[in-house]
Amino acid sequence: MPTTLTLPSVLVVDDDRDTCRNLADILTDLGYRVDTAPDGPSALELVRRNPYDVALLDFKMPGMNGLELYREVKKLRSGTVAIIVSAYTNTATKEEALGAGAWQVLAKPVDLNKLLGLVDVALGQPLVMVVDDDADLCATLWDVLREKGYRVCLSNNAHAAADRVREQVYKVVLIDMQLPDGNGSDVFHAVREANPEAHTIVITGHPRELGGLVDQVLKEGADAVCYKPFDVSALLSTLDRLTKPGLAGQPEV
Amino acid sequence: MLKLVDRFQRYQDLQHYVGWTEQDDHNVRAVAFMLAPHLNPLIDDFYAEIERHPSARKVITGGAVQIARLKGSLIRWIHELLTGPYDAGYVERRSRVGQRHVEIGLDQVYTNVALSRLRSGLVAALGATWTADRTALVTTIQSLNKLLDLDLALIEDAYQAEYLARQQRVERMAAIGQVGGGVAHELRNPLNVIKTSVYFLLNARTLTPEKRAEHLQRIERHVLLADGVITALSDFARMPVPDLKSVVVQRVMEEAVEANPPLDTVHVIHDWPADLPPVLADANQLRIVFANLVRNAREAMPQGGTLTLTGRAVDGRVDVTVADTGVGIPAEELLRIMEPLYTTKARGLGLGLALSRAILEKNTGSLHVTSQPGTGTTFTVRLTADGGK
Repeated sequence: MPTTLTLPSVLVVDDDRDTCRNLADILTDLGYRVDTAPDGPSALELVRRNPYDVALLDFKMPGMNGLELYREVKKLRSGTVAIIVSAYTNTATKEEALGAGAWQVLAKPVDLNKLLGLVDVALGQPLVMVVDDDADLCATLWDVLREKGYRVCLSNNAHAAADRVREQVYKVVLIDMQLPDGNGSDVFHAVREANPEAHTIVITGHPRELGGLVDQVLKEGADAVCYKPFDVSALLSTLDRLTKPGLAGQPEV
Repeated sequence: MLKLVDRFQRYQDLQHYVGWTEQDDHNVRAVAFMLAPHLNPLIDDFYAEIERHPSARKVITGGAVQIARLKGSLIRWIHELLTGPYDAGYVERRSRVGQRHVEIGLDQVYTNVALSRLRSGLVAALGATWTADRTALVTTIQSLNKLLDLDLALIEDAYQAEYLARQQRVERMAAIGQVGGGVAHELRNPLNVIKTSVYFLLNARTLTPEKRAEHLQRIERHVLLADGVITALSDFARMPVPDLKSVVVQRVMEEAVEANPPLDTVHVIHDWPADLPPVLADANQLRIVFANLVRNAREAMPQGGTLTLTGRAVDGRVDVTVADTGVGIPAEELLRIMEPLYTTKARGLGLGLALSRAILEKNTGSLHVTSQPGTGTTFTVRLTADGGK
């Protein structure tokens, strides 16, 4: 496995160069892989190329503010956990940011012990991927799973999903069996190959879908199957079981 | 607010204005005892009327007990009105009525109409009990009217002064809040850098001598930055009196442009007629104004454009324009851009244009702006031409 996959990665975006440099020094010293960007567009360029576990975003920046930036980051890589830092917070902006899916809003100057503690907590949140072409279902699952403390990456086709599992280590991948550019078993195999430790949950309309492909995948080692319409609490307890260290039968990475 | 001595002088001045004489004083005192038995019904009527008007009624919150006390005060007030002496203490007590009305939220109009009602009652009582000749009655009523009008003027004067003082206090508090927000942002950025550098120096697992030096220098630089914010604010608060001299505006503008060079993609046009007269201004202060305008123009044209700098003689004035072809300013922002601490930028205190305007006002000039979003902005600095009166 390449080293970039194992090092937790943090993106720091602040229009103040010295703030970027300082956070980079501190985080690098702690063993994170750190990239910095002075504005929204160059940050998005980095996000397109690399997955980040955590993004530390300054709120007030010229051109695109931290919240606008996060909305774009979320479209590209919804698994990135955002911590927004603002010199002048008010409740309305804070609520808007949290509503948009940002994880935390901190006041500047930041309490570094708190910030670093939060980065640590974020990295401890199990990374899961949902591979489904139903945008509404994805959005709902994102909210539900995020609320339960999972980092949630969304992919709407088999290709994107296969690319993603090669970039980051996932704890669980939820795979819709019917995808626009292929079927779920392709994704399942891609996960198996790139990310052998990952658990898989197959999402399907009915057991006989795709001429027994579901059964086939289960036989090959998929951990669970989830029938549409969803029983959310059953899904959550399955996820809980699979991500709890020691209980799923798979040792930690 | 006026001091006691000033108030008394003002009262004496107003006495002259209405033509108050010893004779008026005498006339009023002479009827004081005559009116005494009629005062209680007048006062009952006074408060009965207040009961009928919710806006006046609402300020009496203490019920019957308070009304009884207020009636006692009103009796003393009328007694003092009729007998004087009209000295500094008298003026002070009248003024307190106006101040008190602001405190309790009683609109001045109720003082005016309540006094009108009291005046009618006093005149009616006088007419009913008058036994001497009618001419004397008329002069006595005139005296009483002057006295009541003077009292009304005193109360209203104090009311206005107190009202204004309160309003200014509210505005000052609002201004502090606004300054707080602007300063908070500008100071927190350097503080944030300092704090994180200190954290790194204290906690880094591996700290090379190069990194140590780099962070110490960074801390020093941001202490200076924070200091600069405070200097900018205090400079704004106490700007020195300008040293007005004959100044060639073109030269000052060239210096300002040189110190704040526009981007390479900006085409700069200088348009200064050879016969442009010099202006009367403080060159150092004028340079600050021009530098602000040139910097703003630069920030308005991140993609390049044309910056046109022009001087024109107009009726004993010199108009200097700084025109950019940048993003322009929306109409709703245009009204506010010269307010202190108003800013639409991510960085900066929002003092540039406010400072420029304040400087120009002290340099017998003025600052004007027109803008078209998407097309550009033109600032005009209007200065006084020197010589040739």
